[in-house]
Amino acid sequence: MTKGMRKYFKKKIFWFVITFIAAVVLNFILPRLMPGDPVNSIVGKNISPGATQEQVQEQITYYKHQFGLDKNIFGQFWDFVKNAFNGTFGVSYSQYPRLVSDIIGSSIWWTVALQLPAILVGWLLGNLLGALAAYKRSFYDKALMPLTLFFSAIPAFGASVILLVIFAVTLGWAPVNGAFDPGMIPGFNWKFISSVIAHYQLPFWSIVLISIGGQAVGMRSMSIYELNADYVKYARFLGIKDKKIVRYVFRNAMLPQVTGLAMSIGSMVGGALVAETIFSYPGLGMSMYAAINSSDYPVISACTLIITIMVLIASFMLDIIYAFIDPRVKAAQFD
Amino acid sequence: MAKLMLDVRQLTTKYITRTGEDVYSVDHVSLTIEEGKSLGIAGESGCGKSTLALSLMGYYFPPLHYTSGDIIVDGKNITGMDPDTIRKTVLGSDVAYIPQAAMNALNPTRKVGKFIEDVIHAHELPMDKKQIREMAEQRFALLGLPVDALDKHSVELSGGMRQRVVIAVSTILNPKVLIADEPSSALDVTSQKMVIKMMKDMMAKGLVKSMIFITHELPLLYNVTDDIMVMYAGQIVERGTAKEMVFDPIHPYSRGLMRSILVPEEGTRDVKLTAIPGTPPNLKHPPQGCRFAERCRYATEACKFNQMPLLDIGGGRYYRCGHSVEHLREVYEGED
Repeated sequence: MTKGMRKYFKKKIFWFVITFIAAVVLNFILPRLMPGDPVNSIVGKNISPGATQEQVQEQITYYKHQFGLDKNIFGQFWDFVKNAFNGTFGVSYSQYPRLVSDIIGSSIWWTVALQLPAILVGWLLGNLLGALAAYKRSFYDKALMPLTLFFSAIPAFGASVILLVIFAVTLGWAPVNGAFDPGMIPGFNWKFISSVIAHYQLPFWSIVLISIGGQAVGMRSMSIYELNADYVKYARFLGIKDKKIVRYVFRNAMLPQVTGLAMSIGSMVGGALVAETIFSYPGLGMSMYAAINSSDYPVISACTLIITIMVLIASFMLDIIYAFIDPRVKAAQFD
Repeated sequence: MAKLMLDVRQLTTKYITRTGEDVYSVDHVSLTIEEGKSLGIAGESGCGKSTLALSLMGYYFPPLHYTSGDIIVDGKNITGMDPDTIRKTVLGSDVAYIPQAAMNALNPTRKVGKFIEDVIHAHELPMDKKQIREMAEQRFALLGLPVDALDKHSVELSGGMRQRVVIAVSTILNPKVLIADEPSSALDVTSQKMVIKMMKDMMAKGLVKSMIFITHELPLLYNVTDDIMVMYAGQIVERGTAKEMVFDPIHPYSRGLMRSILVPEEGTRDVKLTAIPGTPPNLKHPPQGCRFAERCRYATEACKFNQMPLLDIGGGRYYRCGHSVEHLREVYEGED
């Protein structure tokens, strides 16, 4: 590592820490700005119909104390930070007395297992299509690009609903919702796994479909730009094989696409919300959606904190990766 | 007579536009270059000089297409060879090219040394990595370039250095004909001088057997090349030695071109700069007669209708005009 690199990364890390602190504060404040009182809705649900005013008040005071909501805002913030550092993120309001870390721990793997492969497949297919469209032009460009453009233009929820209606409701090829058949006990047996795979298809392909479009469009225009670059013409006239030149071109065209990949991986928890809600997939997106509906501050804050951390890590990784794959970035940053 | 390195006979190439029209940008061009000699090609933007450079490679990409004529490099006719043979045996080794935008000619993500490896591999030469590296180092040292440039990406090099690296890479296979398309026009004067010096150097050391130098900067040609050829609307209008072309141009267009640019040599001090009025004709519909007639102050009615052949007046001098040499010289003298 050169001196320039060290200096550059020190500066980067400094700014990431600042961003992180700001994000933690915002993650704490923003849920609390939402309308609605979490304790009232819990008490409203749990109390028996004939309860007196005192009993209600007693219940409210009890829960407020349990959640630490009787402390002032700084005391609450301190609790939040403490719980974040001990990894539990405190107690969920709506699923009291379950720990937030337990809720997230049981749902995050569904999200990762759904999103990560879908994002990777979508990115690969999209870039492949875009590169083909740029290189072959004619058929690919005329037939496939409008199609991918069409899909990328459909909002995420729209595409999911269309898939749901066609394949689950009308054709009945796939189950309508959930991650496995209701009533099934998760276990490592063929019945359960096949049920999971069947439930996996629709949400998976809806995410793939949407990400293909955006990636393909970007890759196509980058590739066309690179194909017309001066170095292509020069390399040709030096007798370099077309195959090799195509490799030059696509390597260079891929560079900006790496940003897209890292960012969608970084923001996959947020991106999961729509697909998971529509298909009732028990991932982090669903947990967050439920938490928002019941003003479950600790769960919301924990989810948004995870999103923040993942985006920060992704962009930090990007800075490092680019330094290795793009000499132009390296030259600009480390000097 | 010295050996001919390049012998181009009646070469015609065309662009096919999106709407399917043919544009003949190189129209029956014939030229020869002897071993050890250099030829400058001058002309306005759009006169076909860059297209000629591309056409001489014998390797065509749409929208440029070969129509007719022969390109003979050191006795070998390269027209009609299949593209892969041309790629392997002609490009870079027989005919090498330095592009107009040499600043951007290097792949930004490939190190110079790696790119040289690619070039050698493309020609299937029996050399391993180590040998290629040694050869490249020797060549860079010979040309006065820092050897560590081989381990750098183009962004890490200055503009002038990039240009010189491109020239070194282009000539790594000791080409018989080097075609340089405005290799110095984007550079400052100091870098320009270095590039010119380098190219002359390569000729002197025999790394390059002959050279075509394309530019719109005539003063540069006078200092670099043995002969100068002037192109207009896809055709050669005049050819002669550099000295003849600068001090005694025959064709009214050559004269106009020489008079519109300062040549910092003795005898040109009192020359007034004059511009050539008008613009070159659209080659989609070339004029019936002399292509320059529309802009020529000496043109007669007949000029507009009669096809003008390229006349050989001896001593390697050619010109394409309806007037006689004597007549033109007389007219020019009357003006001065």
